[in-house]
Amino acid sequence: MSLRDFLFVVFAVSSVFSLCGLVFVSFVEGSENVVASIELEAGAAIAEAEGKIVICYRVVADADRVGANITGLLVVLNDAGDVLSGAELAYKFGDFDYAVSLALQSQERLSSFVEEADVLRGAAMQARYWDFLVNVVGSIMGAVAVVCGGFVVWVVLRRRYSQAGSVGL
Amino acid sequence: MSYREYTVFFMIVTGILALFVASPALSRLLVLPRTEFFTEFWILDSNHRAEDYPFNITLMHDYSVFLGIANHLGYCAYYSVEVKFRNQTQPAPNSFNHTPSSLPALYSITAFVADQGVWEQSLTFSFNYQHNEALRRVEFDSLILNDVELDLKEYSTDWNVEREEFFSNLFFELWIYNGTTNSIQYHERSVSLRLNMTV
Repeated sequence: MSLRDFLFVVFAVSSVFSLCGLVFVSFVEGSENVVASIELEAGAAIAEAEGKIVICYRVVADADRVGANITGLLVVLNDAGDVLSGAELAYKFGDFDYAVSLALQSQERLSSFVEEADVLRGAAMQARYWDFLVNVVGSIMGAVAVVCGGFVVWVVLRRRYSQAGSVGL
Repeated sequence: MSYREYTVFFMIVTGILALFVASPALSRLLVLPRTEFFTEFWILDSNHRAEDYPFNITLMHDYSVFLGIANHLGYCAYYSVEVKFRNQTQPAPNSFNHTPSSLPALYSITAFVADQGVWEQSLTFSFNYQHNEALRRVEFDSLILNDVELDLKEYSTDWNVEREEFFSNLFFELWIYNGTTNSIQYHERSVSLRLNMTV
């Protein structure tokens, strides 16, 4: 083998190694980018699920304030919270796919939550209005009517008593 | 009955009747306002009592306790219970400064509790650990809490000569969502289980 051939072989081998190295490095970088991308996606999904839970909590708190029966809503909310805790744990362990899946499940459980809470809130406000009308306004007016009626009856009876007294005299 | 007696009797009857009719309104208007707003946070043993808490822990054995919250804050509250673990040298929550432990939470439990409502959850846990005889140290692998495996590989506890135990402390900090700051903040309550890892 001549020197020229030898140099050519060395050049060829080194080129092949360099090329393999470049492919390997780009593969590793690519996988790292994929992992980073999934991690970002998982983080975003968890943050979104947390935001959704906060929104739903505020709606429930509003419904509770007007006296709605929120027992059923709290069961759903606690369930979604449990699933979200699982998502956070999966994220912590680096299981980003599972974290995304759980975060989405948590959001799905709350998909029609706000509408349901609004319906309960509306019904509670209506019930509260009627309760106020009947039990507060109604009973106060009833009491006033009893006092006024009593006064009128007393006046009438007094007149009859006076007339009977004058007749007796 | 004289006229005067008759009048007094009539007024009394009318007054009683008026009070009776007005009682639904009075029951709503004459209510003393609540002045104390607080949260109860407790841990009970497996029999729902405060007397037989797990203490001597054996490897991979299941122990049960009940963790509970009662909300008396006057509104529906969003709580988060942070599960933490420490050995005797690591920081515990400070009840004087009202600060949480600086250790990271192993797990978070979310609890939404209505006003005057109670939330309670059964917790079953077991520990996986190894005894390093040379160093007289227990090195933890994991804590399994309600079938969820939590990593404890960075935790260990040395033999306590005075107490003659491998002390460790599983504790639960109560955090609450603050709508004003839009963040979860420490609610200045924690409960803990003092544990001795038997080898």
